[in-house]
Amino acid sequence: MTMMIPYGQRVTPDRQATSRSLMRPRPVGRAARIILSGMLALWFALPLVPLLLWSVANRWSFPAPLPTEWGFDGLGTALAQGGVEAFGRSLLLSLAVAAIATPLGAMAARALAVGSVPAPRLVSGILLAPLALPAFVAVMGLTVVLLRLRVPAIVGVLLLLVAAALPYTVYTMRVTYAAHDLAFEEEARTLGASRLQVLWRVHLPLVAPGLARAAFLSFLVGWSDYVITVLVGGGTIVTLPFLVGSFAAGVGNDAIVAVLSLSAIVPPLLLLLALGRFGRRYAGGTRTPSASPLARSEKGFL
Amino acid sequence: MLIALFVVGGGIGFSLVQSLGLLPLVGEASLSLDAYLANGDDLVRGIGLSLAIATASTALSCIIGLTAALVITQGRSTGRLVAGLSAFTIPIPHLVGAASVGLLLSDAGIIPRILGIPGTEWPDIVGGSWWIAVVLEYTWKESAFVALVVAGVLASRVARYDETAALLGASRARRLRHVVIPLARPAVIVSAIIIFVYTLGSYEVAWLLGRPYPEPLPVLAFRLFTSITLTARPEAAAVAVVTTLISLAVVALGMAALRRTPLWK
Repeated sequence: MTMMIPYGQRVTPDRQATSRSLMRPRPVGRAARIILSGMLALWFALPLVPLLLWSVANRWSFPAPLPTEWGFDGLGTALAQGGVEAFGRSLLLSLAVAAIATPLGAMAARALAVGSVPAPRLVSGILLAPLALPAFVAVMGLTVVLLRLRVPAIVGVLLLLVAAALPYTVYTMRVTYAAHDLAFEEEARTLGASRLQVLWRVHLPLVAPGLARAAFLSFLVGWSDYVITVLVGGGTIVTLPFLVGSFAAGVGNDAIVAVLSLSAIVPPLLLLLALGRFGRRYAGGTRTPSASPLARSEKGFL
Repeated sequence: MLIALFVVGGGIGFSLVQSLGLLPLVGEASLSLDAYLANGDDLVRGIGLSLAIATASTALSCIIGLTAALVITQGRSTGRLVAGLSAFTIPIPHLVGAASVGLLLSDAGIIPRILGIPGTEWPDIVGGSWWIAVVLEYTWKESAFVALVVAGVLASRVARYDETAALLGASRARRLRHVVIPLARPAVIVSAIIIFVYTLGSYEVAWLLGRPYPEPLPVLAFRLFTSITLTARPEAAAVAVVTTLISLAVVALGMAALRRTPLWK
């Protein structure tokens, strides 16, 4: 598209109008964009379709494109195979990871932001290192140590998961504290608030959105882990991913796998929606619509 | 901090010590490279395979993710649809994704059913010699990650530059080439590093959707580690050490590439 600006015409009447006339889509471009978006939408959504269909199929013999017999047998079997217990265990484990990793990450990030840490680059390097290293390496190195120290499996799993979650919480909180103004806390102290009151009434409310994002990310780390739980737990800690893995490795369990998988998707999705709603309410509706709660924390990697 | 140091340093350190034969579960400790040589062929094949899977997944994720990010930053209703669906993909565990891709693409999966192709004629996408299902699963999950990261960066900066360039007479292709892509480059490089290292060291997807032999490094390490023979432990640790070295090399390369981008502060 060549741009010609006729002589004598006002070039910048106002930003809105300029951008509209200069960047108005052409019909061909518009069609291409819609097709492209459709393909991308299909790309992201398609892998979820079999889960939805299989979870309500009792029988689905081969060439049929839709289930041949609808029903909830998969759900029944999944419940009978300890699905609820595994779900609860996964939930507890992930919540514990979030509950430990979030405050730790926040404290480390605050210390880094205030500048009270010696060799800050080294410290943040070590805190971010689990991102760059495969989880199974840490597990294989440490199981011997954990065994010799007689640390219970569940504590070992928790320890490793917290370390895996720390990079996310530290980074999210580092970004949060970079935008956080300590003067608010000093002001409150000057006005006679105790340290506890400052923490509870000033500090925490100001960083709450960041804390929520950090907690969500560390919850995800615990929720989706498979290798650490299997290797350290040695098969004794049956979490939801563990069940999905063992059924998916077998043959003919398609309906159970689908039900279990769906139940593994629902909690993080609910949390994501809650997080988005929390963030919007907190910002008083001033946020740009394109910045989703995850985007703001994930781009923190930069 | 201490926990991270313990887990990272301890993990690598003890893996190294074990792989050199200094920390056996039974018997005398002695320094040797036996563990590295015991599965020499498997190890070399695993390195090649893992690198190939990680490279393919990273390249495809970056291309698809960048395209999705461009569509998202257009900000129209179609962009919002793509943004919503890709954000929806992010919190799904990889294992669940792998199970679902298996149900979709195996020879009795949904796609051959819809296309009406009998299982015998359907190509070996799951468990085939090209590891297509594994790469597709990684690409599906990680392209959503790239889209999220890049769209986040572009949303905050690109609109003004893009408008200015348009006002100065830049064509669409030129704006994409000289404005949008350079702005997105650091974000793409960072996410590429993360994806590459993740796919190199991730176990469950390759285990579920791959074939028994040859094995990528994590699967090989996992099998050796959980095998009944106790001597296999050092061999598993040796695989772990090799994987770590590759990861560190990739991170170093990526950081070097990042420093060469003009926007990196």
